[in-house]
Amino acid sequence: MATYNKVTPEIAKRLKAVVGEKRFYQGEGIDPNYSHDEMPIYGKYMPEIAVDVETTEEVSGIMKICSENKIPVTCRGAGTGLVGGCVPLPGGVVLCTRRMNKILHYDMDNLVVRIQPGVLLKDLAADALAHGLMYPPDPGEKTATVGGNIATNAGGMRAVKYGVTRDYVLALTVVLADGRIIELGKTVCKTSSGYSLLHLMVGSEGTLGIITEMTMKLIPNPVCDVSCLVPFRDVDSCISFVPKIKLANLDPQSIEFMDSDIVTSSAAFTGNPIFPETVNNEEVGASLLVTFVGTDEEELDQKMIKLGRIAEEAGAMDVLVVATSSNKKAAWSARSSFLTAIEADTKLIDEMDVVVPVDKIPAFLIYIRGLGEEQGIRIRNFGHAGDGNLHIYCCSNDLEVEEFKRRVKVIMDKAYAKCAELEGQVSGEHAIGHAKMGYLRESVGEDVFRLMGEIKKVFDPDYILNPGKVCDATLVR
Amino acid sequence: MLNILVCVKQIPDVDLVKMDPETGNLIRTGVPTLTNPLDLNALEAAVQVKERYGGEITLITMGPPMAEETLRECLAVGGDDAILITGRPFGGADTLSTSYSIVMAADMKGKFDLIFCGKETMDGATGQMASQLAERFDASQISCCFTVDEIADGKVRATRTLETGKEVVEATMPCLITVEKDNFYGRLPNLKAYLDSKTAPITTYTENDIDGLDLRLIGVPGSGTIVPKIYPPELPEPGQIIRTGSPKTDVSRLLELLAEKGSI
Repeated sequence: MATYNKVTPEIAKRLKAVVGEKRFYQGEGIDPNYSHDEMPIYGKYMPEIAVDVETTEEVSGIMKICSENKIPVTCRGAGTGLVGGCVPLPGGVVLCTRRMNKILHYDMDNLVVRIQPGVLLKDLAADALAHGLMYPPDPGEKTATVGGNIATNAGGMRAVKYGVTRDYVLALTVVLADGRIIELGKTVCKTSSGYSLLHLMVGSEGTLGIITEMTMKLIPNPVCDVSCLVPFRDVDSCISFVPKIKLANLDPQSIEFMDSDIVTSSAAFTGNPIFPETVNNEEVGASLLVTFVGTDEEELDQKMIKLGRIAEEAGAMDVLVVATSSNKKAAWSARSSFLTAIEADTKLIDEMDVVVPVDKIPAFLIYIRGLGEEQGIRIRNFGHAGDGNLHIYCCSNDLEVEEFKRRVKVIMDKAYAKCAELEGQVSGEHAIGHAKMGYLRESVGEDVFRLMGEIKKVFDPDYILNPGKVCDATLVR
Repeated sequence: MLNILVCVKQIPDVDLVKMDPETGNLIRTGVPTLTNPLDLNALEAAVQVKERYGGEITLITMGPPMAEETLRECLAVGGDDAILITGRPFGGADTLSTSYSIVMAADMKGKFDLIFCGKETMDGATGQMASQLAERFDASQISCCFTVDEIADGKVRATRTLETGKEVVEATMPCLITVEKDNFYGRLPNLKAYLDSKTAPITTYTENDIDGLDLRLIGVPGSGTIVPKIYPPELPEPGQIIRTGSPKTDVSRLLELLAEKGSI
């Protein structure tokens, strides 16, 4: 990592002048949560200064001062990341966008909304719904900021039908490392107008610029939806069913995978066993939760009938219907609680969110379970079966921290190597942060990693934006 | 074979109902409905009994025609037959006239060995219906049922949940049972049952179809209570977060505030 200057009293005074006293924090006044995200196993790092920004101009003002003085700046939203992405490794300034939480304007003719980055995903989803619209990306963490979702190119459950966050970003206002303000993209449906810096910014994790406003694409809200739970005796037959759903032209909105362990944990945590652990007195090995949307009930019934037919042929134990509002609420709150349920009964936790070709999911899961047994680490997993994105958690309640880290590193090293062998990618939607940087480098190879570093250098020649994340350019100089 | 009756009710989604501050009336227009969750627990208990001992489950509800949705939802998860009591004269009923109407309509179908009810509804929350029904059916009653342990020789043995522990009781049939939700989470319907429930026949009774129904005992005339006013509880003042910049000054500010309020 590059070397940086400390925040002197004079610099602190100038920073305070930008945001005012009430949104400037120093020393003990800084919220300790700013030292970590939701994966504290990757370490805690306190900034010297934290500021809550409210406008693009304030962000620009902060960046100008930090750029002039070579002070590192780490942008933070709600802090719900899982790879240490918003953690200020070298100290410096944490710039928090949580107060930039205004939904600015709906353009109902073009079906877009202009928002600030600190708007929470759940608030955008609810507000769009009140306008009869839907914001399709649906990452599990609903209290994440949309700015954070863009920074990590978050995916979520509906990616099977609608794609990921990137597909819904039309335009961005970005503050560059030196404080300049640029506009990327326009409210247009397609573009072939030079390099897409817009798409480069999406998924750049605050290392290339700071997003301060965004125009997001919306779609008309589907009239109705229904989900089917399809239980199988084992993981293999469960996953093998995924391509059959797609081939049957059923166009599901999401296909979520859950194994029996996670269903048990979730039921204990939520107190609501909506997903059955047995069907007709037979133990369920793994299940798919398949969701359809449509214009009327008849359309959904036809899709379910077809699903039922192919499920029977594929050896499914049954097809259960999640149709009532109460059951939908229970099912999705159980599904959304998987990570929280794991966290609730685990002292030490680490995770990976690899994405592999769908047909390789069983091979990968069998491999990772073997590694867990070999290292004495409890493995919990769930994921988006429709797109091959798996969330795998290494858990322990008994080991000392250092021993846990040592064993998990063995698992991670081997698992990422296996992922590469299966033609997978390091992260499906949680991004790289500092936790997965080494694995990204191994995965993409030196040439590509170097190119990433060169791009970083163009945007941020002094490496002050979120240092030590994604592709620490100083490593490849 | 056991004849089992399960009483269910369609209610507005109480999380979404708002109150008109002027009139004190509940604003139900456009509010989605759902089946009273505790009734689904009662149905699950009944289905478990049916699976163990055999029998037939009749569902019964009183409400507007759209209450049929609730019956179909319950048919999909184990109900065999359904009765809807509907008509303007039944409107505005309190628990006294509702229990009368339900018993009169249920008698049309025959005699029941077991009657299952949710312990209360999420909208009215009086908790009176079960006891009134037990009285009118001339049935014994087991409330707070945790497990139905055995049914034999015209008797039901069940374990009840008490504040201090558990209690095993035995009651003669007919017996009305209200259940604790913990052991009786509702199940998801399977696809075939779900689709079949959409077209299943439902017996609909208006005030003219129920033998011996005394119109003076239904709806508003039959009600023993009136609700002159509903008002929301007064909410406590929202809390405030003290964040002055350092723990030391935070504590000083907290002490100031407590002193201002006379708490210290």
